[in-house]
Amino acid sequence: MAFGSDRSRFTDIDFSGKRAVEDKDIGPLVKTIMTRCIHCTRCIRFASEVAGVDDLGTTGRGNDMQVGTYVEKMFMSELSGNIIDLCPVGALTSKPYSFTARPWEIRKIDSIDVLDAIGSNIIVSTRTGEVMRIVPRVNEEINEEWLADKSRFAYDGLKRQRLVTPMIRDCNGELKPVDWEAALLTVAKVVKGAGSSIGAIAGGLADAEVLVAVKDLLNKLGSEALCTEHTFPLDGSGTDLRSSYLLNNKIVGAEEADLILLVGTNPRFEAPLLNSRLRKAWVHNELNVAVIGPKVDLRYPYEHLGDNPEILQNILCEEHVFSNKWKSAKKPLLIIGSDTLERPDGAAILAAAQSLAAKTCPEKSWKVLNILHKIASQTKFGEGNLKVLLLLGADDCSINKSDLPKDCFVIYQGHHGDYGASIADAILPGAAYTEKQATYVNTEGRAQETLVAVSPPGRAREDWKIIRALSEIVGTKLPYDNLNEIRDRLDQVAPHLTKYGYAEEANYFKQAEQLAKKTQAKLDSSAPIDVKIKELQDYFMTDSISRASPTMAKCVQAVLKQKQSKY
Amino acid sequence: MAQYFGLDKIAAFFKTIQQYGGIRASLYKIYRMDSLRPGTLVGTDKYGNKYYENPSYFYGRNRWVEYAPYYGLEYDASQVPAEWYGWLHYKTDLTPDKDPFRPKYKWMADHTENLSGTSGQYMPYTTTRPKIEPWIPPKSS
Repeated sequence: MAFGSDRSRFTDIDFSGKRAVEDKDIGPLVKTIMTRCIHCTRCIRFASEVAGVDDLGTTGRGNDMQVGTYVEKMFMSELSGNIIDLCPVGALTSKPYSFTARPWEIRKIDSIDVLDAIGSNIIVSTRTGEVMRIVPRVNEEINEEWLADKSRFAYDGLKRQRLVTPMIRDCNGELKPVDWEAALLTVAKVVKGAGSSIGAIAGGLADAEVLVAVKDLLNKLGSEALCTEHTFPLDGSGTDLRSSYLLNNKIVGAEEADLILLVGTNPRFEAPLLNSRLRKAWVHNELNVAVIGPKVDLRYPYEHLGDNPEILQNILCEEHVFSNKWKSAKKPLLIIGSDTLERPDGAAILAAAQSLAAKTCPEKSWKVLNILHKIASQTKFGEGNLKVLLLLGADDCSINKSDLPKDCFVIYQGHHGDYGASIADAILPGAAYTEKQATYVNTEGRAQETLVAVSPPGRAREDWKIIRALSEIVGTKLPYDNLNEIRDRLDQVAPHLTKYGYAEEANYFKQAEQLAKKTQAKLDSSAPIDVKIKELQDYFMTDSISRASPTMAKCVQAVLKQKQSKY
Repeated sequence: MAQYFGLDKIAAFFKTIQQYGGIRASLYKIYRMDSLRPGTLVGTDKYGNKYYENPSYFYGRNRWVEYAPYYGLEYDASQVPAEWYGWLHYKTDLTPDKDPFRPKYKWMADHTENLSGTSGQYMPYTTTRPKIEPWIPPKSS
């Protein structure tokens, strides 16, 4: 009897059985075990106060009280996974993770999420060389204690559609698995033959180490054609001044703003945790939001100014009704979506925005101009007569095989078999973000480091090591052999890249604005400003990892089904 | 007298060499089987292995098999079929052809040697799903 009786102390005096509550189906991400619910209403308050989706509530009184959605309905939020973390009793648990692992079996590795540009801090839980789940890690400057659904649940995409062995296209046009020696020798031969007509396109999931290695390799071969998949206007100061491509006022800074103008961005789905900050400011700080771009649902009211890029110019020239509001704001913020800058008149939009930001001069430390990126790694592409094209995880269909010269040899280096791999002549399998120690810079310019949680599958290797090995065979050996040495090189190129966890301030706003004024580009009023991700179903599958994820596919299906439902 | 000078040993040696078909063939036999023993052939199995006996050797050395020539150096004990196993291991003194009580049914399987280490070896395969599903490149039509 040392540990008490082995019989329950529950005496059913009414012979009515224990109270039991039916489980609710609130979507493919959150599993409910409602008998456990103690009606603390944390999920309800999170949904209505943080996520801004008033789907959850209570019905009934006293013993009959139930937490749920009243009608059977999906919890339609991009932040829904967080209610799992804040449920104190486990009434809300993770559906993909349920019954897959026990907490004492898993190893936890602190890492960084790369599926959006926020760079949320995460803990990757692994068991037997497999990522079992991803949960957020508190970082008040970036993600607070939240994590967006894609970042949390897309991890099963890491186990599907993986490139596990090098491949070479044979004479029949089929991709055939080969070993590393054969692959590197073939690729090196082609690269040698191409000389300086080699180019590279980096996709959104490339880390800083591999970008520097590829840049060095290309420069040694006499080529300057390293571009990113998502373009950035190169007029004016281009990407030379960091102030013109970063979220300069930091993610935390958004909380203090009293007026925010969003240009061509949908922060709710491009950066859900920034949107939750904006919502927080709207709730607690009397924030007013205005939007230039399509009407999207941000889960807080905003003033819609239209979708014509000329509006920006009008506000600048004080011809718009909004300019009075803008002038009287003490802490205004201008947030421009990176998509908008990809437009042909992106340079003009950026120039107008820079002028507008320069005109308003609040406190010294306050930075009006902010660029919001969609992807973790970003920084250009001159089409030339390329003989070799290296795709570094570039999967967003930005390159068409028909755009390239016919004899162009396409090398794809990445971790998922997606669009890029299917057009490639040679495939070099790389590591995903959970499988390498790599540097990623988020939209505010904060360098952060992922750590190795599991080893890369099969013959896949860390990306910069592949480039380093290739360089040696090509005959232009890159001067770094280990992580420390390539980090030293990173430090030479840009010192802020190795100051982990610290967001280096960007400067030269004035100079950037003056340079931007030289741009020849004109605002194109015929093309309305648009955003790619408008609705929840577009949010879940945006990159090669989330496209490979069955959970994310289920989410898209569930959202589409919910949209058809009458509730 | 000849026994006294050990001449019979020399005679036996030459007789053995003769039995094996000359010096060259005897050297090959030594190379292949590490021994040269005179013996009487008691039988041959369907795979071409020859079974010898020489009662002048001590028990344990007096019955042996010479594997069929096509095995070369790649011979091993599993190439002895089950019906000869008993005779070779002194379980019986009757060779298969002289033993009327051996069961013989047409459903009895043919003998197979141990195929480990060859392309014909048994490989157990997993029925659980792989942790990582690799990308299969689409067939170009």
